Amino acid sequence: MKKEPGKKITLGVFVIAGILLFISSIYFVGQKQHMFSTTFRLRSSFKDVSGLQVGNNVRFSGINFGTIESITLISDTSARVDMMLDEGVRKFIHKGATASIGSEGLMGNKIVIVTPGPPGGKEVQNNDVLESSNPINMDDIFKKLKVTADNAASITTNLSDIMENIHSGKGTVGKLFMDTSFADNMNQTLINLRQGTGGFKQNMDAAKHSFLLRGFLKDKKKDKDKDKR
Amino acid sequence: MKTGEIAQTTTRDDLAEEGPSFMKKVKSFFIEMALLSAFMWKFFKELFKRPFEFNEIARQCYIIGCRTLPLVGITGFIMGLVLTIQSRPTLAEFGAESWLPAMVAVSIIREIGPVITALICAGKVGSGIGAELASMKVTEQIDAMQVSGRRPFKYLAVTRMIATTLMVPLLVVFSDTISLLGSFFGCNLKGDISVHLFFSQVFEKLDFMDIMPAFIKTIFFGFGIGLIACYKGFNSDKGTEGVGRSANSAVVIGSLLVFLIDMIAVQLTSLFS
Repeated sequence: MKKEPGKKITLGVFVIAGILLFISSIYFVGQKQHMFSTTFRLRSSFKDVSGLQVGNNVRFSGINFGTIESITLISDTSARVDMMLDEGVRKFIHKGATASIGSEGLMGNKIVIVTPGPPGGKEVQNNDVLESSNPINMDDIFKKLKVTADNAASITTNLSDIMENIHSGKGTVGKLFMDTSFADNMNQTLINLRQGTGGFKQNMDAAKHSFLLRGFLKDKKKDKDKDKR
Repeated sequence: MKTGEIAQTTTRDDLAEEGPSFMKKVKSFFIEMALLSAFMWKFFKELFKRPFEFNEIARQCYIIGCRTLPLVGITGFIMGLVLTIQSRPTLAEFGAESWLPAMVAVSIIREIGPVITALICAGKVGSGIGAELASMKVTEQIDAMQVSGRRPFKYLAVTRMIATTLMVPLLVVFSDTISLLGSFFGCNLKGDISVHLFFSQVFEKLDFMDIMPAFIKTIFFGFGIGLIACYKGFNSDKGTEGVGRSANSAVVIGSLLVFLIDMIAVQLTSLFS
């Protein structure tokens, strides 16, 4: 190795390149976790953090600008979440901003979503406490879905009973659909009605030719012709 | 109790099953462990003694690091490419193809990269060191060095063990990087993803708890490979047959040690994470 400077140079390049690659990977991971940028802290309290973990992202306008620094249980009904956010985003977060817990996707990690707050307000300060809006709990959704499903089951049971009654000819609607004698009666009624109206038409034609009504009918025709003119 | 005495009092079946040979194996295992521990202790004692043999360390680093890089690089590239191609259909079933870079990166950096690279090093470097030292042993070159006042353990074993301890972690870093390039190539075979987006997705899901334990365990992998190879070389039997046996056992025991260290490392990582 003493008389082989080429090998030494190769080894030097190899070692330096390896160390650089390792350091750059550390840098990129650290940068994603905002370890090498100036940050400020915001706090918020939640009744239920829904599985939020230290290191999860904090999102503002859909962009990751920080991470969860710590989660501490402060009472039996609330947990305090400390967030480290990039200093550059502070000017966009105003007093009155809120924090809520969301999800990166259906199966994704939990995140904290920070809303900007009312426009024109003062920008938040380090260690400020944000108001929190509690997340939609999946358990609550499932509970409501269960009630809806129970109601649907009850409705379909009743519907099934009604259909069964109709099918067996019970009740007014059942008789209407299933009773054949009812249909026969209806048919007979219609025949009678047709015969009745036929007879009535004949009577009216006979009345038109009667001397008693002839004058009345002529006057009516004259009035009609006048109106036409 | 002597082996002959045991043989007289046991039947042939007992001998075949777990008679004296079994006891002998157990005994020899513990003796090997004791000798290996003594060898390791000697390494730490010699490590801080002069002369430091920097030139020999550099030469060994060149042989172990630079000369193994092409093999490690090709393996790493294929590893990343194959893992990506194999994982794609499963992720596509769930509509989670965008998770492919992150998933492959975590698999490679946490587990596959370090272990496969260490196994390659155990095969190439371990066998090389084992065979080289064993042949020096059987041709009495080590004895000659001792007689001439050169400290063979320091010059031959310590330098090689330092070189493996330093070079295996660097080889793993190169292997991981090349694997990620292979994965990027694999992602672009059936999809279209830019370099920037690929590495952004990779580093999005990586954590220090993925990188640091994986890197630290590679230091132990390197030390273990060097230790076993040097031990086997220094304790080779006389004769050319012993050279082959030393090289072979350096590879086998070195590979086994890599898995053992990996198992312990995973347990420790899960304790702290």
